[in-house]
Amino acid sequence: MGEIKRESPVRFTASPTKSEVRDNWTVALEYDEEGQGPWLVDLAHKTRWDLQDNKVGEQRPGDLTVPSAPGDCTFANNTLVNRMNRTQASIYHLGAAAPAMPDFSGYTDVTESTVFLALFGPNAFFIAEKLASLDFLDPAKTAPFLYQGPFCHVPCQIVTLEKAADGAGGFLLTCSRGYGDSMVHAILEAGVEFGLRPAGENCFNTWAQGLQG
Amino acid sequence: MNRLNQLPTLRINPSEKLSLSYRGKSYQGVAGDTVATALYANGVRVFARSLKYHRPRGLYSLDGECSNTCMDVNSIPNIRTENTLLKDGMVVKEQNVMGSADRDWLSFIDKLDWMMPAGFYYKTMHKPASMWPVAMKQIRKAAGLGVISADYQMKGQYDELFLKAEVTVIGGGAAGMTAALAAAESGQRVVLLESRPHLGGCFDYRVSATGDGTPLYERARELAEKVEQTGNIRVFKHTSMVGAYNNNLITGFQVGNADDVFTERYIEIRSNSVVVATGCIERPLIFDHNERPGVMQAGCAHRMARTYGLLPGSEAVFSVGHDLGLEAAVDLFDLGLKINCVADIREDGQNAELMLALAERKIPVLKGWVASKAHGSKKVEKVTLSTVEGTVKRDFPCDLLVASAGLTPVTGPFILAQAKMGYDSHTGYFLPTELPAKMFPAGRITGINNPGSIEASGRLAGLKAAAAAGADMGKTVADAEKAASTLPGPERGCKLVTAPVKGRKSFICFDEDTTIKNIKQAIDMGFDVPELIKRFTSAGTGPGQGGIPGHNLPLFVAKYTASINTPVPTTVRPPLVPTFLATYAGYNHHMFKHTPLNDSQKADGGIFRNIGVWQRARYFSDDFECKEEILNVRNNVGMLDGSTLGKFRIHGPDALKAFQRVYVSDMSKVKEGRIKYSAMCNDDGCVMDDGVVVKLGENDYYFTTSSGRAGQTVEWIRYHTRFDGWDFHLVNLTDAMGVINLSGPNARKVLAKVVDIDLSNEAFPFSGYKEFFIKDTIFVRAMRLGFVGEISYELHVPSSCTQAVWDMLKEAGAEFGIRNFGVEAQNVLRMEKCHIILGQESEQRTNLLDVGLGFLWDRKKADAKTVGAVALRQAEKDVGRLKLVGISMEDDTRAAREGALIVDNKVRGYVATMRKSFTTGEAVGMALVESQLADKGTRLEIFEDECNGVRLYARVVPMPFYDPTGERMKN
Repeated sequence: MGEIKRESPVRFTASPTKSEVRDNWTVALEYDEEGQGPWLVDLAHKTRWDLQDNKVGEQRPGDLTVPSAPGDCTFANNTLVNRMNRTQASIYHLGAAAPAMPDFSGYTDVTESTVFLALFGPNAFFIAEKLASLDFLDPAKTAPFLYQGPFCHVPCQIVTLEKAADGAGGFLLTCSRGYGDSMVHAILEAGVEFGLRPAGENCFNTWAQGLQG
Repeated sequence: MNRLNQLPTLRINPSEKLSLSYRGKSYQGVAGDTVATALYANGVRVFARSLKYHRPRGLYSLDGECSNTCMDVNSIPNIRTENTLLKDGMVVKEQNVMGSADRDWLSFIDKLDWMMPAGFYYKTMHKPASMWPVAMKQIRKAAGLGVISADYQMKGQYDELFLKAEVTVIGGGAAGMTAALAAAESGQRVVLLESRPHLGGCFDYRVSATGDGTPLYERARELAEKVEQTGNIRVFKHTSMVGAYNNNLITGFQVGNADDVFTERYIEIRSNSVVVATGCIERPLIFDHNERPGVMQAGCAHRMARTYGLLPGSEAVFSVGHDLGLEAAVDLFDLGLKINCVADIREDGQNAELMLALAERKIPVLKGWVASKAHGSKKVEKVTLSTVEGTVKRDFPCDLLVASAGLTPVTGPFILAQAKMGYDSHTGYFLPTELPAKMFPAGRITGINNPGSIEASGRLAGLKAAAAAGADMGKTVADAEKAASTLPGPERGCKLVTAPVKGRKSFICFDEDTTIKNIKQAIDMGFDVPELIKRFTSAGTGPGQGGIPGHNLPLFVAKYTASINTPVPTTVRPPLVPTFLATYAGYNHHMFKHTPLNDSQKADGGIFRNIGVWQRARYFSDDFECKEEILNVRNNVGMLDGSTLGKFRIHGPDALKAFQRVYVSDMSKVKEGRIKYSAMCNDDGCVMDDGVVVKLGENDYYFTTSSGRAGQTVEWIRYHTRFDGWDFHLVNLTDAMGVINLSGPNARKVLAKVVDIDLSNEAFPFSGYKEFFIKDTIFVRAMRLGFVGEISYELHVPSSCTQAVWDMLKEAGAEFGIRNFGVEAQNVLRMEKCHIILGQESEQRTNLLDVGLGFLWDRKKADAKTVGAVALRQAEKDVGRLKLVGISMEDDTRAAREGALIVDNKVRGYVATMRKSFTTGEAVGMALVESQLADKGTRLEIFEDECNGVRLYARVVPMPFYDPTGERMKN
């Protein structure tokens, strides 16, 4: 019996030029000719939790507060907390390693449940508007914020982390894991005219670190 | 034909040559040409033949207002070549002709118009009835537009775009551009749509000057540059608006350029407010032979020269009813067109400067005169002008007759937005009597024609739209209103509809060959409402979407019926501009779910089918009866990818209460280390779903549902507990866990090589549940189930590790000859055991008891608290319900098809599933039959589609067909 290898739901046709094995995942760090953006990064290996409780606002995942209004997000220390509804929040750990899940029954590890992608860089939202009827550039909203709605007809959680009126910025997207192939194909097809390319975790980290200051 | 290559207004690039093929010959056009202008430049004057009479048709408008230039382009029929940009290598053909457009053998039909009065197809050829199919075929051969090959595959890339904007401006003329610029001052997002490939509208091709002396085309380019440089305005050129819906949802489509990645793309804009600056088209002048090639609208003739560099004729007569016509005459004269006469319908009210310009050029002008007949056969050779009363007539030779009765506003967006339209007697336009919410008109659509007024009107509308979208524009709006009020307002419009003619060959609708005579016939038959006349005569129902008759029809009806009421316009519906169905279909991304084992299943020869949202391996060989797959499970060991099963966690203090509500069993009896199979019903007791439940902890459960119901499960449970305020939470883990079903007599031996737990029947019995790790790394939830009737382990593993576990099992099972089995083999295996699949052996009418799952129902639970229990208690006493029974065919070589009816003198049931069982050697299955037929041994008569009266016969037999004691799956 061979080595245990964890498989991402997302496959790019390009092969990474630099990768590392982390917790049995082969994490792509860099791709050849990542270009000047926009970029699409597979973050399937990043830990995600579901938190549900009647008093969800009293929880402090990663020592962060759970925002009080549905759609609001808290982003610090590589952790993103997204308030989904009255009783539910989702938590994304964007750092290299996630902390242990708190000993509270309201948490469920849903890392395996979803595709987890980052689409960011110039024109990122012009790609998004080819696939979703959601207003990512709504002037009334300040990033980060969460949408729960269809993206390419598939129910998704989408967190806008950065936005600019010229369509630049980026967002994180999760949807059912089974849609991985279809979703990536759709996004890459939509991004052809903007030069969308797969990129590695390093590229994402640079962007995410910049957002956190 | 020589081009006017040096004009500053040109929208072509004469140095970039493009070729096209027409009638087997190669022609040359230039970049910026439409297909029609390129053909025109090469001397083509007859582009098509008309729908009914096969009359020759030429270039009349340049905005697709009629079907005159509809042709077959690259094997796609009905392409409006007058506004389809030329691309290199296009192959163009005539359509609806026998012979050629120039020499059509069917043109004799034009002489038979007396046989085809209004609505003739409603009244003739129906008696005797047997004649109609014959007549219909002949009519279809002779009439119509293009024909598409049944084998034609649509080429190109069809894209979609979903935009958001505070302000959307429809129309990229001067008013639209100033509206966009004004709205953009607020900082809001503005989208500007322009149907032509360039901005500018009616300023784009005109050399007359604005108030400060700037030629209009220069002003248009200045505005266009400003608009394109404004960051918060997104400009979509060559984009036609096609629909307006509630809450200012605007739809349209954009035609791609050669550099674009899309051929066409559908655009949907959710906008807070909308400016409609769609301008005007020309209202056709109706006279005898008013659609003869060589007759064209003033704007068409003007743009042919100024935009495409093509002088549309050599010797012209103008018959117009507005100043734009006079302006075109002056300008075309200056460009070299000989003009024999200008007949202006109006007795007075002409622009004095234009009249002076005509006089300076010695162009004769007849006021109160109109064209009454165009002479010639395939092109105009002469025109008869008459006074509008018809008292005096004069003939003029010409090869171009520029004819236009007046202007008509493009109000489609307002009509689609449900605006009520009324007739404005000053302008002669149909205009909204009340504007839809947050929708504002701008520019020529309001009746103004002064360039300064047009821009001021656009600015005012843009500011109002921004304010309606939430911007604070109070003072700016007031200033703009004041500025606009000082400028010339709407102009008096020409009201004449027809020249003084009888109308036998005066066409009100070119697309449908509808004449004034036809309209009169319809009215004489009692039709007095334009909407009804439109339907009876077909006027306005062709590809031009009513562009030609839309305005004239209600005016003529009002006049002919001497109505004292104001004219009522006909309505329009989306799409305002026709386009390909492919554009509406959009990109058509195939969004299917794949299991974590998708690739390896494919590599192993899996033949996939779409099943719900999933793509699953149904077979693993070309033998769709799956004999080897089935027998391998029965005799050895097989593996199935069952990852599509619905999987959930429910937790929280009231989780058990929620379970008790939706499951028919007593869920408090779920024991740790055991699985419990149960079902959910709806309020009628009909089974909605089934699956297994395991207990993870106090009020913490993991449960499965059928694949098809996974998407609804969370909502189902929440719906049925919505009034209780219970504290429980659901997590959908369907995609989190892959499922491997390891089944067969050797399954235990294979699994034992991979895991470190005791798999003996005592330690891990049937219905047992275990959690363990493989290699201390991969967490596994393992269930002993028996859906296929053999020893079976259902292994739930994290999706990312599912392939790794599959590979381990495959390697471990190699010595036993382990092989994949697909969904079809599973279907047969479970059928032999008479394990049901909901939806396959159940339907809307069947309840839990009917399908033999009554043993799951715990009757001691409080009825009102279990969904469906009350109905089940009542149904227990019902007779004559459908019952699920096992059936065996009398002829074992012939299994009945699924869905085949069980009949006597009426339908008594149907076959749910039936296959040839390789295990038993019999053709067996399950059927839902009325309870009177459910007794064992009953002979059933089966009717199949296309059985030609030959019935099949089966008998009711005991279930299950295989291993009735369950020894094989339990030991």
